[in-house]
Amino acid sequence: MNLFSFNYLSFQKCTLAQKYALALYIQTQTVFKKHSFFLLFFGLLIGLVLLGFAMTPYDPVETNFLNRLSSPSWKNWFGTDQMGRDIATRILYGAGWSVGLALIVSTAGAVIGMIIGLLAGSLGRFVDGFCMRMTDSFFAFPELIAAIVITGVLGPNTVNMVIALILVSWMRFARLVRALTGDIKQRDYVVQAKLNKLPYYLILSRHYLPNIILSVVVIWTSSWSRTILSISGLSFLGFGVQPPQAEWGAMLLDGKPYMLTAPHVMIFPGIAVLVTVLILNLMGDHFRDHLQSSEK
Amino acid sequence: MTLNNFMRVALIKAISLILVLLGVSFLTFLLYYYAPGDKALAIANARYIGEGSASVELVEQIRLETGIDRPFFVQFYYWALDLIQLDFGVSLISQEPVSEIFISQLQETMELAVLSLLIGMSLALPLSLISVWKPKSFIDRFAIALSSIGAAIPSYWLGLIFIFVFAAKLQWVPAYGTGSLAHLILPASTLGLWVLTSQTRLIRSFLLEASAAPFLEALKIRGVGPKELFCRHIVRHAFVPFITMLGLDLAYLLEGAVIVEVVFARGGIGSLLVHSVMSRDFPIIQCIVIFSAVTYVTINSAVEIFQWFINPVSR
Repeated sequence: MNLFSFNYLSFQKCTLAQKYALALYIQTQTVFKKHSFFLLFFGLLIGLVLLGFAMTPYDPVETNFLNRLSSPSWKNWFGTDQMGRDIATRILYGAGWSVGLALIVSTAGAVIGMIIGLLAGSLGRFVDGFCMRMTDSFFAFPELIAAIVITGVLGPNTVNMVIALILVSWMRFARLVRALTGDIKQRDYVVQAKLNKLPYYLILSRHYLPNIILSVVVIWTSSWSRTILSISGLSFLGFGVQPPQAEWGAMLLDGKPYMLTAPHVMIFPGIAVLVTVLILNLMGDHFRDHLQSSEK
Repeated sequence: MTLNNFMRVALIKAISLILVLLGVSFLTFLLYYYAPGDKALAIANARYIGEGSASVELVEQIRLETGIDRPFFVQFYYWALDLIQLDFGVSLISQEPVSEIFISQLQETMELAVLSLLIGMSLALPLSLISVWKPKSFIDRFAIALSSIGAAIPSYWLGLIFIFVFAAKLQWVPAYGTGSLAHLILPASTLGLWVLTSQTRLIRSFLLEASAAPFLEALKIRGVGPKELFCRHIVRHAFVPFITMLGLDLAYLLEGAVIVEVVFARGGIGSLLVHSVMSRDFPIIQCIVIFSAVTYVTINSAVEIFQWFINPVSR
């Protein structure tokens, strides 16, 4: 399909797949126009991190005892830790742990929460009551306390931490999706689709999903940044990613005893967490403002 | 009629509260039941520590005694029966009653929580009020910057920085331990800063939301001055969501206390939790988990009932 000679007649002739492709194309274009600054900034940041991976001559876990706890210099930008490992390199690799794991956790949480919220909101009263009381029960445990207990009881390692964090993060999504779905259920087009005996999965994919997805994305970004804080917090307490892996919280735990003689060991991982979470929060706020202004 | 209505709402709330409490205890028991490792062996080793590994007969005896080999729902029944009587059993490690250990540690956490709440709220209230009263002023910008940076600071890192600056370099206050008020200052400021930033962000957004309400236009036309408008109408309007969120934040203060207590090596519920998870002391873990969940659920219900009285819209 040629996009430049596009008119209504040729749209009529398109297959469904082509129509979807066109809609996607137009949407990405508007997203690029509206959020060009953010996308550029984000791309630049990712590019810098990748460049760092390519340029660094050091290994994140290999020890070098001749160069222990050296201060920041041109050779080691952020200094070295108690095992002589380059902190800048470890922070770069740590970005993979924190940001990547948090992405997995928040996405899994979003999917589970969406499924439960959709079921609760679109099916009958009994399913609704059951799902929402279950959500309330999970919600009653403070996130961090539940995560500590689950990881600790199952055995402190990365996989169990991810499981625990998924278990404590899906409720926010379920509540939001339930509220939105309950609202959509009353709308005319859903009632009509039901009267027309449209199959349930089609009602879900055509009417419910497109209406909730943007709000879910907003919560998803904030859940992402919260999870980064939780992951590094759990690792700092010793329940998450275990040293010698280069996770930011684990690095802080490792460097804590050397804090007084070599403060750079603890300062830089903390700044890494701070900056990453700040950027993600700002991105989430930006999305939310955009969503609110487009709703008006 | 309204009271009748209230009874109906209260009844529905009470039923859902009971269901949630049941769910909470079930989830806690589920975790205990499916925890990996032989629990009878763990109890035997903990109880007769220093006598080498426990013998097979002893483990079997403990298994019979505690009923670990019985079916899931039988165990759940007896476990819940103990729970209703607030009998949490004895610690596997020290053999002291869990409730005694818990209450002695709760006191320290409460000290920390109350002081940090005082520090945080006494700064957050004026800051957010001034920030909305004078938009785009220096204080407004400061409040915005503070709340977005504060939401991103990892509290354990902030605690370490405080220790480094105020305890190690300046030597104003002691870094670790419990006891005097001086020991409490650094942990309470760390947690208080979290309260300050999160509350500033919330109160500010509630006030902004209230000042966008359409009835304010009508009041302005009637000749209500800006001062009266702000004090009598905007602030009062923002009060309801503020109380709601404050109730929930109180429950989350416990969560913040965990990390702060560990960083500053204080006693308290948080460090008790971390230590008992490390040593797999199940009675204590259960007690803390159930306490935190019940606190949250109770505060939540109290807030809902309070809302019913204060806000006619929710009736």
